[in-house]
Amino acid sequence: MTIEIKKNADELVLEITGRLDTITAPALDKTINENLGEIKCLILDFKNLEYISSAGLRVLLSTQKKLQQKGTMKIKNVREEVMEVFEITGFVDILTVE
Amino acid sequence: MGEYIKFISAALLNVVLVIGVYFLDKKTRFKNLRRIYKELIIGVLFGCSAIYASLFGVKIWGATMNVRDASPISAGLIFGPIAGIVSGFIGGGFRALTVLWNPDSAFTAVACSLSTFLAGVIAAVLRKFMFDDKKAGWMPAIGITLVLEVFHMLMIFITNMDKAYDAFLFVKQCTIPMIIANAISVGLSLIIIAIISKEKVFRIGRDRGIAQTFQRWLLLCIILAYAVTSIFTYNLQTGIAESQVEETFTTTMTDVVTDVKLKSDLKITKVATKVKATYETNNNVDLNTLLHGEDENGDKYEICEINIVGNDGIIKKSTDTTKEGFNFYETDDEQPKQFLDLLGEKEELVQDFSKNAVGELRKYAGLKIEDGFIQVAYNQKQFRTTIDEFIIDVTKNRHVGATGFIAVCDENLKIVSETGVNEHHISMLGIIPSENMEKGEPEEKIFETEIINPYNQKSQGKYIYVYTVKEGFCIIAAMPMEEVTIMRDVSIMLSSFMQVLIFAALFLLLYLLIKKIIINNLRVINSKLAQISGGNLDVKVDVRANEEFASLSDDINSTVATLKRYIAEAAARIDKELEYAKQIQLSALPTNFPNGEDYNIFAQMIAAKEVGGDFYDFYKLNDNTVAFLVADVSGKGIPAAMFMMTAKTIIKDLAESGMSVNDIFTKANQKLCENNESGMFVTAWMGILDIPTGKLTFANAGHNPPLLKRADGSFEYLKTRAGFVLAGMEGVRYRVNEITLNAGDRIFLYTDGVTEATNENNELYGEDRLLSFINKSLELDQTKLLPKLKKDIDKFVGKAPQFDDITMLMFDYKLKKGETYVESRTFPAKTESLTDVLAFTEQILEKYQCSMKIQTAICVAIEEVFVNVAHYAYGEKDGDVKFDITFDKDTRTATFRMADKGVPFDPLKKPEPDITLSAEEREIGGLGIFITKKTMDLVTYAYENGENILTMIKKI
Repeated sequence: MTIEIKKNADELVLEITGRLDTITAPALDKTINENLGEIKCLILDFKNLEYISSAGLRVLLSTQKKLQQKGTMKIKNVREEVMEVFEITGFVDILTVE
Repeated sequence: MGEYIKFISAALLNVVLVIGVYFLDKKTRFKNLRRIYKELIIGVLFGCSAIYASLFGVKIWGATMNVRDASPISAGLIFGPIAGIVSGFIGGGFRALTVLWNPDSAFTAVACSLSTFLAGVIAAVLRKFMFDDKKAGWMPAIGITLVLEVFHMLMIFITNMDKAYDAFLFVKQCTIPMIIANAISVGLSLIIIAIISKEKVFRIGRDRGIAQTFQRWLLLCIILAYAVTSIFTYNLQTGIAESQVEETFTTTMTDVVTDVKLKSDLKITKVATKVKATYETNNNVDLNTLLHGEDENGDKYEICEINIVGNDGIIKKSTDTTKEGFNFYETDDEQPKQFLDLLGEKEELVQDFSKNAVGELRKYAGLKIEDGFIQVAYNQKQFRTTIDEFIIDVTKNRHVGATGFIAVCDENLKIVSETGVNEHHISMLGIIPSENMEKGEPEEKIFETEIINPYNQKSQGKYIYVYTVKEGFCIIAAMPMEEVTIMRDVSIMLSSFMQVLIFAALFLLLYLLIKKIIINNLRVINSKLAQISGGNLDVKVDVRANEEFASLSDDINSTVATLKRYIAEAAARIDKELEYAKQIQLSALPTNFPNGEDYNIFAQMIAAKEVGGDFYDFYKLNDNTVAFLVADVSGKGIPAAMFMMTAKTIIKDLAESGMSVNDIFTKANQKLCENNESGMFVTAWMGILDIPTGKLTFANAGHNPPLLKRADGSFEYLKTRAGFVLAGMEGVRYRVNEITLNAGDRIFLYTDGVTEATNENNELYGEDRLLSFINKSLELDQTKLLPKLKKDIDKFVGKAPQFDDITMLMFDYKLKKGETYVESRTFPAKTESLTDVLAFTEQILEKYQCSMKIQTAICVAIEEVFVNVAHYAYGEKDGDVKFDITFDKDTRTATFRMADKGVPFDPLKKPEPDITLSAEEREIGGLGIFITKKTMDLVTYAYENGENILTMIKKI
C-alpha cells in the first residue's frame, strides 16, 4: 500500500493505492494521526484501493470518530469490491461516501 | 431410242456416283483420308463417269450429244477444287482422244474437250471463291451448269466459224437437251444430298443475307436485261434478214434478166449484121431467101421479117408486103418509134421481145445503113427456139442464195427451164400465180408458198419467191424460208449465248465485289462484336476497307471504350462498399476465444470474395452455461450479410433470456419470418452446455451435422433429425437433443463452405474427405487444427475461386467431473504470514477461474479468520495454522479449512455487531468474523483432536 498526501490549508487529501489489510492498516492510521492536526476536512481517495478488510475498516471508523467534532471525513471513488464490504458491514450508513 | 436410254443412264450414273461418294465421305473410314488424296480419288471416279457419258451419247451430225460436263461440275462444286480439275482433265482428255477412232467427232473435238476441262476448273474456282470452299446449293449449281453448257455451245460455234451453218444445225438440236440433262444431273445430285443430310431444300422465310438479297435482285435485273436485248436482237436481225433477202432476189433477178436479154440480143444482132451485109452487097437481093440462112458464125437462123427503111422513115421493102409504105414518123406506137434513132446518130438497136404496132409478138433488131436502116425480127417460135436452150442453161447453174432456185415460164406460165417438167404449168411447183403474173405483168412483191418437188410431189417446206417478166418469160426466184431465217437465228443464238456468258460473268463479278467490300467486312465486324458481347471489352474493331466501315469501326470502339470506363468505375465503387460490409461483418464475430480449464473454443470464418452470410457465435449465459453456434444465411452479398446480423442478434437476445435451445430456435424462426419478404433463410446448429455437468442440449435448423469426437475415439458425424431452416416457414417448432460431454470430447461445427468447396474439375470436398482429414489430426490443438484443415481445402480447390464462406468452430470440453482438488499448506500463526496466505488463496481461485469480485470477497473473509487465529490461538507462543482448500468441479464449490492447535475458541459465538448503530456508538472490532460469515455461503466451527477447525464453503 502506498499513500499520497496532499495538504491544502485545513484540508487533507489522502490517495491510497493497493490493499488496506491487517498488515497495511496501521500505516494508514499513523499517517492520518500525523497529519490530522488542525485539519477540518479529510478526503480519502479510494480510486486505487483494491481491497479492504476489517483492519482497514477500524482505521476508518476511529478516524471518523476523531473528526466527528472538529470537521468532516469524505471517501471518494470507492470501487465495487470495497463498496461491497462497506455494505455488508453497514459502513455505507456511517461514512460519507461520495 | 437405245441411245437415249444410255444418255439418260449416264446422267443418272453421275447422280448415283455423287450420292455414293457422299456416303463414303460421311460414314466410312474414307473420311479420315487426307483431303488431297480424297479429292484425287474422287476426281478420278468422276473422270470415269465423264468417260462413260462420252461413250453413251446421242449421235447428231457425226458429233455426240452427252452429259459429260455434269461429272466435273458435280465433283468441283460438291467435293472440292482438286476433284473438279482432275475429273475435268480426264473427261476433256478422253474426249480429245476419241478423234483417233472416230474421225467424225473431230467436228466438235476442240470445243467439247476444252469446255469439259474448263467446266471442272470453273466449278473448282467458284467453289473456292464464291462458296467459301463449301458445298454449293442446288439452285446456284443448276445456274452454273446452265452457263457452262452455254459456254460449251458457244465453243462449238467459235471453233467452227467456217462451217457456221452445220454448227448452227447441230447446236440448235442439242442445246436444250444437253442443258436440261446436265442441269438435272447436277441439280438432282445436290437435292438428294440435301435431303439425305437433312438440310432444308428450300430456304423459305429465313433471314436472308445481303448476298442472297443482292443475288436475287441482280438475277432479276439480268434476266430482264437479257429479255430486252434478246427482243431487240430478234427484231434487228429479222429486219436485216429481210433486206438481205430482197437484195439477193434483186441481184439474182437482174443477173438472170440481163443474161437472157444479152444472149437473145447478141443472137439477133448477129443475124441482123449478116442480113445487112448481104443487102448492102446486093440491094436487089430477094429478102425472103434471107429469112433462112446462116449468120456470121455459120449458125443457122430463122427469122420472120426483114424491113428496109429509107431516110424518110417509110418501109421501102419488106418480106411482109403489107408493111411496105409504113411510115415510122407517122405512127404513134412506141415500139416502131424507137427505131427512128437509127436515122440519127445511133448505129444499132435491139428491142425486147414484145408486141409490135400491129399486135404481133416480135423481137426486132435494127442496123443503120447508108440511106436508112434495116430491121430484122424473130417471131415467137423462132425466138423460143433460139433462146430456150440457153434459158435452161442459165437457170440450171444459178441458185438463189445457197439453196434457192430459179424457174422460167413462158407467157402461158408453162415451165420452160426444167427439161423434165417442161410444158407443165407453174402451179405444179406449188406456186399459185397472182393476177398480174397471169397477165404477164411484173410485180415488186415477195410471195410465200409451200414448194412441192415436181418429181415426187413431196413438200419442200416454206419458200419465199419473187417474179419478173422479161422477153416474154416469167422468171421466178425462190428461196427456202429456213435459209432466210438462218442468219437471223444464228445471230440471235450467238448473241444470246454471249449475253448469258457476259451476264454470268457480270453477276459473278458484282457478287464477289459486294462480298469483298461489304460482306467480308461485316463478317469481321460481327465476329469482333460477338467477342465484345461475350465479355471481352479489350477487342478493337479495325475495318478500314472504306470510309463507311472505318467510321463504323471508330464508333463501335468509342462506344465500347465508354462502356468499359463506366463498368470500371461502377466496379470500383461496388468493390469498396463490399469491402466495408465485409469488415463490419467480420467485426461482429467474437474473437476472444475462451481457453480455460473447463472448455476451449476456437473458430474461423473465411469469407468468399463477396460478403456472405456465414457466422459463428459463442457466449456465456451465466457462470455455468455457455452457448455456441454456427449458422449460414442463404445467398450472398449485402442482403445476406444484413440478414446474418439480424439473425445473430435475435438468437443472442433469446439465448440470454434463458430459454432452452429449441425454444430459442422456435422464437427466432418466428421473429425472422416476420417481414422476411426477400425470402432468405438461415441454417443453424446451436448448442448450450451446462459446464459442470457436461450436459449439452442442442438443436439443428437444417444445418450440416457437426462432427463429434469422444475422448478416446475418432470424429463421427453427430447426425440427428434436423428441423426446418430458420425464417423458412412460420410456426415451425424445433426438437431439442441432448448428449453429455466428458473431458476430452470435441465438437466440430462447420458450414457447407467446407464440404462444398469445389475444385477445377467440379468435384466437392465432401463429408468423407473432411472426416478422413480431421481424423488424421485428432489430437492437434484447435488453433492449429482449423488452419491446417483450411490449408487442405485450399490444396484440394487449387486454382478454382472460393465461392462460399468457410466457417469452422471447434469446441473442446475439458472439465473432469466428480473430482475434488485439494491443496494444503501450513503457515506460522502470525499476522506476517497473511500475505502468503492470501497469495496462496488467490492462486487457487484463479486456477478455477473465479471472478475477481468473488476472489476479493473470499480473500477478505480468509484474512479475517486468519488474523483472528494469529492474534488469539497461541497467545504469546508460536504455533502453526494448517490451511486446506478443496475444490469440487461438479458443483464449483470451494471449501476452505483452517486448523490450529491453540486454545479452543469458537469465533462464531461472538455476538454480531449491530450495524445499525451510528459511528459514535459503533465499537471498533468484531467486524472481521461478521464479514466472513456474510461473505461465505457456509461457515462452521469444530474442535476435534485438539484442533480448532473453521470450515468455510463458497460456490464460485
